[in-house]
Amino acid sequence: MTATENRVKDLPIILPEPSEATSGEQVEQATEEWVEKFRGYYDQWGTLLQQNLDRLSRGSYSLHWLDTEHTHWGTRVQPSSRGLTAADIDRPKVYGTLPEHTEWRNFAPRGSARDLYKDAMPVIEGYDVLDKSHLWADNVNTLYEEAKVRQWNSTTDIPWSELEPVSEELEKAACQLSTFLTEVEFVAGDFPSRWVWRTAPDFFEVNNFLTTQMVDEARHMEVFRKRAMAGAGGLMHPSPAFEWALKAILESPTHSQGTFLLNVLGEGLVLSIFRAGEFLSKTHVDKEIFRLCMQDEARHVSYGTLEFKAYLDAAADRERALADMHRFADIGEQTILTALSEPALLESVAVLMGGSVAEIDEGMEGVGFLWSTIVEEYLQRCDRAGFSRRDRCTIPLEFPWAA
Amino acid sequence: MMGPVADPITPSDAAPAPVARVAFPSVQWFEALGQRMHDQRDHFAKIGDMDCTMQLTLYDASPAGQPWRCQVEFEGTDVVDVREVGEGDEERADFVIETDLDTWREMVDNIVANGGRPDLDHTLNRLSLPGVPIRLWGVDPVRRDAYYRFNQSLQHYVNNAAAFGTRWPGDADEAPLPAPDGPAARA
Repeated sequence: MTATENRVKDLPIILPEPSEATSGEQVEQATEEWVEKFRGYYDQWGTLLQQNLDRLSRGSYSLHWLDTEHTHWGTRVQPSSRGLTAADIDRPKVYGTLPEHTEWRNFAPRGSARDLYKDAMPVIEGYDVLDKSHLWADNVNTLYEEAKVRQWNSTTDIPWSELEPVSEELEKAACQLSTFLTEVEFVAGDFPSRWVWRTAPDFFEVNNFLTTQMVDEARHMEVFRKRAMAGAGGLMHPSPAFEWALKAILESPTHSQGTFLLNVLGEGLVLSIFRAGEFLSKTHVDKEIFRLCMQDEARHVSYGTLEFKAYLDAAADRERALADMHRFADIGEQTILTALSEPALLESVAVLMGGSVAEIDEGMEGVGFLWSTIVEEYLQRCDRAGFSRRDRCTIPLEFPWAA
Repeated sequence: MMGPVADPITPSDAAPAPVARVAFPSVQWFEALGQRMHDQRDHFAKIGDMDCTMQLTLYDASPAGQPWRCQVEFEGTDVVDVREVGEGDEERADFVIETDLDTWREMVDNIVANGGRPDLDHTLNRLSLPGVPIRLWGVDPVRRDAYYRFNQSLQHYVNNAAAFGTRWPGDADEAPLPAPDGPAARA
């Protein structure tokens, strides 16, 4: 046993004191498992540690990192008119070629001299999304750059001081719509977060974009929570009908399926609601909120549509992939319909459109138009992805409202 | 040794220049909006680069009362091309907004009347969501979505119509407008 190994074996195990706030036994057990796991890997990382310490103790240098033989040294990337973009650094094939499938389940950068170290690398078991076809979209670099330059701040970019009082009915409707949007924006951020940490770093372009989506959705959740409170109203009624749709999205079995349900259908729906929000805003404050959110949401929809297309295009057995997706969509559409038909959503939008509770019938006519727009744009995006739902869509094409 | 140097002339020091009216519909009218956009590069950079091509089709705006079509190509914070196009050129645009001359004029008049920020009923999205009086469409739904992705920039681009005068069809050639008091407010 080496001196280093002895040192590691002798390290005291320091466990946190159990507290009432956390499950002390769980922490103790998890810590023990972690310690045992990394002791078990000692043959691998301990060897590296020993080599490094030996070298330092000899006053010696490695300088292996100066060797460029297995790198792409000398490949210069050129900035475009906009600066050095994500697309620019993917232009050289040696750096920009994504594998269809990767076995690199660690952090070694794509394009580095990583083959030399393959056997010494750890495996991150959590990285289990290893196929490009479950992630990639041809517009992902463009959308990432766009997301970076179109960020905004709900604290300072909304003219909150201009929020004008409206009737109590209209304020209640605005607050109910804001409550709904706060609720749905949680899942729109949580869904990508569920997949980012499972995605192998070889597909960092996608992860980069998905992190912008997470930031966007956090901002949306924040701005609608603020909007509900800013007019002296408040958060109103959450809805079990929404929650079942959100659960279906969050627990989708694959990233591509969840992206279809969230970004193509769900976010497409929310995009139309944002457009309608801007349409029916009673103040410039609301108009600005909805317009800015609409821009963000449209990026997510664009990614979702082309990711879904790329997934279908790359399928080894396209017919089977389509059949699976139709089966998934049959139920997925129904869960979204459950949310879309929720009175807390439809009726609050109808009151905003009509102008008062007394004029809710007139507002429902507007909701009917919005419904048709949502479904038609969803079907258009499905067509674009190569997934025709026109003969199979389980959401009524026309608003099922008996006036 | 040089003598004292006067302070630089700033726009507020300079005598306001009269504002020429720009004929509508015309390529020059959209170029004039683009020039204002270029002049406000910092503002447009803050709200974000915009890369798309918009087509405006006015059903009845040609001298013969026929459709008039124009494409505006945006890149970053600039308009890089404005061109009059013909029927069938829609493929070159990411999205098309179609309306009649009266609707467009009402929208622009409203922007001007409100100092560069339209009222709640005259924003691009407000006028286009129901499909009337402005119809939005595109040959590709993903490209069409650029209208949503860049809507704030598009709105601010159009809002710059408040910075110069518009000579509408039927208006007599007349003297330029007096210089505006200050920069147009934003929507």
